[in-house]
Amino acid sequence: MSAFFSGLWVILTLELRQRVRTASWYVLIGVFVALIAIVTVVVSVALRGFGADDLGGAAIYSTIIYFVLLLGTLVAPALSGNAINGDRDAGTLATTQVTLITTWQLIIGKFLAAWVTALAFLAAAVPFLIYASVVGRLSAAAITVSILILAIELGVVAAIGVGLSGLVARPLFSVVLSYLAVAALSIGTLIAFSLGGLAVQTEVSNVSSYGTDYNSAGNAITCSAPETYTYRAPRFDLFWGVLAANPYVVLADAVPSSFDRNGNPTDLFGQIKSGVRSAQIAPETLVVFNECTNTFPQTPSARDVIDSTTPGWFVGLTIHLILAVGALVGAWARIRTPAARLGRGSRIA
Amino acid sequence: MTVAQQVEGGIVVEHVRRSFGEVHAVRDASFTALPGTVTGLIGPNGSGKTTLMLMLASLLQPEGGSIRIAGFDPMDATAEVRSRMGWMPDVLGSWANLSVRSTLEYAARMYGMDRSTASARAEDLVQLVDLADLAASPTRVLSRGQKQKLSLARALIHDPEVLLLDEPASGLDPGARTQLRLLVRRFAAEGKTILVSSHVLTELDEMADGVVYIDGGVTASEEAVARSRASARPWRIRSSDGEALRSALMSAGIASAEITADRKDLLVPLSGEGAAATLLAHLIGSGVPISAFAPAVGDLEHTFLDLSSGDQS
Repeated sequence: MSAFFSGLWVILTLELRQRVRTASWYVLIGVFVALIAIVTVVVSVALRGFGADDLGGAAIYSTIIYFVLLLGTLVAPALSGNAINGDRDAGTLATTQVTLITTWQLIIGKFLAAWVTALAFLAAAVPFLIYASVVGRLSAAAITVSILILAIELGVVAAIGVGLSGLVARPLFSVVLSYLAVAALSIGTLIAFSLGGLAVQTEVSNVSSYGTDYNSAGNAITCSAPETYTYRAPRFDLFWGVLAANPYVVLADAVPSSFDRNGNPTDLFGQIKSGVRSAQIAPETLVVFNECTNTFPQTPSARDVIDSTTPGWFVGLTIHLILAVGALVGAWARIRTPAARLGRGSRIA
Repeated sequence: MTVAQQVEGGIVVEHVRRSFGEVHAVRDASFTALPGTVTGLIGPNGSGKTTLMLMLASLLQPEGGSIRIAGFDPMDATAEVRSRMGWMPDVLGSWANLSVRSTLEYAARMYGMDRSTASARAEDLVQLVDLADLAASPTRVLSRGQKQKLSLARALIHDPEVLLLDEPASGLDPGARTQLRLLVRRFAAEGKTILVSSHVLTELDEMADGVVYIDGGVTASEEAVARSRASARPWRIRSSDGEALRSALMSAGIASAEITADRKDLLVPLSGEGAAATLLAHLIGSGVPISAFAPAVGDLEHTFLDLSSGDQS
């Protein structure tokens, strides 16, 4: 077992030295830190303008976490998407495979290197996260969960990139595919959710009866005859499962929310969470509005929505982990030696 | 008893084949390379040399037949083979950002050596292949010949019993070629088994003890190689008096049609060393001034040309 890890360590350090630790990489981290600093300042000032007092920190914190997720998923495919086929092109894959390094050591080492690289963005953001969490008085649970989920999601993207670089012969193509996979999860799920919800619609009847005469207390005593009109409402409740696979939603859904006095979430996570969770609720097919009987459509608070609906983040996370492991296993089957078959036009050396 | 059981160590290949879809890269390859010898692997472009090398290097599965490297089957005992076999590919790849020394250190650690052993081994090899001046330079600045040396050093990093060298001399200057030849002979003397694939046949002539000829994915039998070695091949004869030489040759019983002129020299087909010695004695006896008398092509080149033309006819 220790032989396995020492081989893994060799590949990991080699990968970091060879592929990642270059001048342009440090420039990228520098730009990233500058961007986060700008975001932190702008969000702080903006929230002060809205009068959010001590809780502005929670919003800053969640914004930074999302920013790290965004940049991490944008950068990780570029760094991991040619990990294996790039080596083949450079003629260094076969010379590694002919040593005592096993295929799993090679693949996991490369995956860990890509993951560590993506986590460097998280590390660079730590000072800002500390500031925001102190100002926002975040709960330890929220901090732990958000960072943990973020780290796992970055690992998923790294694994998909490394896996595709083993499965696909050409580096350019595998990098593009990795980006498409990230886009499918981040944006594709959103599009599928919206289109699905809009495609399937339910007829909703609205029966309204308005007050025509009021007593001195302002209550209606006589009302108009009930007017019925119908409209069609999208059925997002049938497609909320699609959104569960979205990494931003997974993150938001997993983090324990905190609410203000009116039951509104204090951070971006909570807002997205309540939005996604309310999609689970099927639209009422009969909406009654009657001023005489004081019957009004109820709008539940974000807190009520979140408390009454099903969390879906672990489903999404499981899907992501299956994708990541599947990509790595696929790459293993594809590049293991002695090779049974070669891809079209691919040279083993 | 099969050949594999008789031979201890070395390389034993029996009826190996491998195809890629419709292309039968290697159809029937058999040969034995014994410890302590240098074996040349020659053949025209696209004859299956590289595919065969990849199978020997434990990177590609043969579809049939058997391979033994240092006594182990690359399919069943991959790790045993890899720890005893060094492979120098024809593709020159290197980790561009690493120095020559750390490249070798990483290669050593991939064979399970610890840090200090690896760095000592890297230092030895940097000296051995004459890259000490460049040890701290990143590999991307190396010339083709220097990369070739680095590649050789990497193949030797774990002191393998069996060495597979694919075109080791390409890109090397004459000095480095001589050095390579001496190095290869020294490894053979130490008891290693060395298989060298090369296009530079004169080069192989000087270092190889035996030769495996492959064409169309089939290795030529030892008899075919022996026969072609004995078959007639041109000898180059130079004289200051061309006319006297020509008439002396004809008087020795060589038909005029067989004598071809090549610049100032005459080329004459002769079968074997014995015929050559007899002719030389005759020419000198006839008083023709002879300044050069030698085979026009090297042993291997002759074998190569003879076998490849034989296949086509």
